[in-house]
Amino acid sequence: MSTEAIPAEKPKRNFNALFGLTLLGLLLLMWIVLAVATPSFATTLNITNLLRQGSLIAILAVGQTFVIITGGIDLSVGAVVGFTTVIVALLINAGWPIWAAVLITLLVGVAIGLFHGFGIVKMGLPPFIITLATMTSLRGIGLLMTNGNSISINSDSFQAFSRGSLAGIPYLFWMVILVAIPSYVFLHHTRWGRYLFSVGSNAEAARLSGVNVPRTIFMAYVLSGLLAAIVGVLLASRIGIGNPTQGDTYELQAIASSVIGGTSLFGAIGSVHGPLIGSFILSTINNGANLLNVNTFWQRVITGLLIIVIVYFDGLRRRGK
Amino acid sequence: MTSTAQELHPAPMLEPGRTILELNGLEKRYPGTHALKPVHLAFKAGEIHAIVGENGAGKSTLIKLLTGVMPRTSGEVIWEGKPTALATPHEAMALGINAVHQEVVLCRHLTVAANMFLGEEESRFGLLQQRAMVKDAQKIIDGLGFDLPAHVMLGDLTIGQQQLIAAARATVRGTKFLIFDEPTAYLTRKEADQLFKLIRRLKGEGVTIIYISHRMEEVFELADRVSVLRDGTLVGTRNIAKTDEPELVKLMINRSIEQIYHKEHFTPGATIVETRNLSGKGFENVSVTVRAGEIVGLYGLIGAGRSEFVTTLYGRHRKSAGQILWQGKEVQVNSEHDAIRLGMALAPESRRDQGLCLNLPVGINLNLPIYKRISSNFLISGAKEKAEADRQIADLRIKTPTRHALASSLSGGNQQKIVIGKWLAHGAKLFIFDEPTVGVDVGTKAEIYRLFSTLLSKGAGIILISSYLPEVYELADTLHVFRRGKLVATHGFRTASHEDILGQALAEKQEKSGGQK
Repeated sequence: MSTEAIPAEKPKRNFNALFGLTLLGLLLLMWIVLAVATPSFATTLNITNLLRQGSLIAILAVGQTFVIITGGIDLSVGAVVGFTTVIVALLINAGWPIWAAVLITLLVGVAIGLFHGFGIVKMGLPPFIITLATMTSLRGIGLLMTNGNSISINSDSFQAFSRGSLAGIPYLFWMVILVAIPSYVFLHHTRWGRYLFSVGSNAEAARLSGVNVPRTIFMAYVLSGLLAAIVGVLLASRIGIGNPTQGDTYELQAIASSVIGGTSLFGAIGSVHGPLIGSFILSTINNGANLLNVNTFWQRVITGLLIIVIVYFDGLRRRGK
Repeated sequence: MTSTAQELHPAPMLEPGRTILELNGLEKRYPGTHALKPVHLAFKAGEIHAIVGENGAGKSTLIKLLTGVMPRTSGEVIWEGKPTALATPHEAMALGINAVHQEVVLCRHLTVAANMFLGEEESRFGLLQQRAMVKDAQKIIDGLGFDLPAHVMLGDLTIGQQQLIAAARATVRGTKFLIFDEPTAYLTRKEADQLFKLIRRLKGEGVTIIYISHRMEEVFELADRVSVLRDGTLVGTRNIAKTDEPELVKLMINRSIEQIYHKEHFTPGATIVETRNLSGKGFENVSVTVRAGEIVGLYGLIGAGRSEFVTTLYGRHRKSAGQILWQGKEVQVNSEHDAIRLGMALAPESRRDQGLCLNLPVGINLNLPIYKRISSNFLISGAKEKAEADRQIADLRIKTPTRHALASSLSGGNQQKIVIGKWLAHGAKLFIFDEPTVGVDVGTKAEIYRLFSTLLSKGAGIILISSYLPEVYELADTLHVFRRGKLVATHGFRTASHEDILGQALAEKQEKSGGQK
């Protein structure tokens, strides 16, 4: 019942804005340094490549953020990506029209999200456990369906999508924008967005205030599953195969992006732009390390260290230092 | 005290009556606020010194300074004649200063014994002497006269029992100066009595007690002296024998006591809700009627089934038998959602656990029940969201810099105003207030009571649950007494004596009576 420390909210808001800016600043700084340090960074080829690389994780990170804001976690998204590459590949090879194949694949993502919601709300399982179980099982189911083989997708037009671009920007990055804008509106300008925050902050208080808590939880996991399925389709288009082992560690990259972007793993704090910037920071680290000929093993070490540093400074900034 | 406790009690006590701790112009400033203006006060060894004041008067700040949780801005602290820095909690503990907080800060998943010895475990060759610790802990607990087992998980005890353990823990660490911060807020009367026994016993051993409470009757029951804080200023210290409640209240709020319980009588209108022989988990056979314009008080001890009754009425729990009639028609209330749609509003018992999203802004908390109404075409209307929140903040005089401030940054009384305020815009017909003034200062209490009148004048009905008898006694038009899950008696406004009502709530051996008048 402390009565002190009532810092006016204004500075806090500025902090938030500042933080978003600082992350964006960090990203731009990395780009400038790389552009100066390597001749190959600031080329059209590399930039479009970077945007393509970052796009997939960026979309996953947005879905992951919805879940984390409710105080949960979705460990299954990498496995969902792999699994849905298989589904879309099988459907297309079976002669389904592309739009139908894609639609069904997205519905599979929704179904997986519903299953998570069911496990958490109806069975009372912790999100960590139910999504960990799906993560393992989905890879297994995918392997059973494909007998462990990759499925080549025999549709050029499907694969052409990932290579195409509009106004010089790859379609894949346009997809990020297509996901981000509705997500932003959803999270910050609809009541369901508010409910996500309220459930993450105090589910009991939200319930007593008339918020349908189970439905809100279902919604978060369905969105995460749906976005993971979208990423699965995009990845299948990009690599031209369906393979259940694809998307390995994507869930961890998505969580890392989200956390770098200022999402609190305790729930109730998060945004859409933060994880987006976070994911492109991660991709830039990888891309830059490749260009600078850093040993790929070291890349992993550096990525880990940078996550610690960035999140630590985020914490400092939040405490208002 | 037992031999074990004495072994853990090595520091020599100061002779009773001598000054143990002297504050010489103790002061605390935060950026923007002067939380504690220079305080001059001397605590005597072996006295029980009560500190009273409204929320935000500076009591929490004073405790934090005394326990070394934060540094003072200026002034001198003299401990047993020597100036001391008192800059860290560790330093305070080394001197023998300890605190028991309102919210128990112990580990719920460890045993009672493990909690008692936390940080000072008994071990041999690096291995914990678990059995010995349970035995010693039990000895201490028994020695204090608490009927509690030492080997169970702390979390299995009631909050009140946990509070007793926290107090017991503080007594075994060479404590000379013990601060109790609202210790009885969640205690039953019996537990409170045990705690008071413990406090008197400590006093007998020469420990200096600082007792912070909103409950005047406790201050008069326990304290030797009382100091009053108002707006960060020490406005007076009195000998308890030479003062009375009206004087203290006047010092605290600059206002007289009659102005606190604000009771307006309205002619009751149509029946809003009626329960017929409603039963559920924790209560049975409860028949209650609430009409427009009246306050129905539910009095009883904590655990008597009042909260269970209202949460079942509110759809949080399933009823096992009986009927709920809403404006004369039988309804099924299967969820909070149903209840809210009918027009019920619940301000729950625990602000922190049930009432607020603490790490969300004040504005979102206030608007949570009405987001549907202030949205159109899926989108929230930013203007309406702002208008509604700002209106409640102004109407209820919630002290917050803006609606964007986090709920956690507000004082208890202001948090409680949010819990209540979020239902005002919703336009409910039946308001259920479960312990609305626990941990709330006198000034805020008065504001909350006045709010009741406003609601009644607009044709709403109120169910008021309180464990504080004067509150329901002075406010309720109809007063139901609960005991062990049953409605045992019903009174009109001020028609029974305090003693009778207390007796009905406590009596173990009275003949079984149903829910009749």
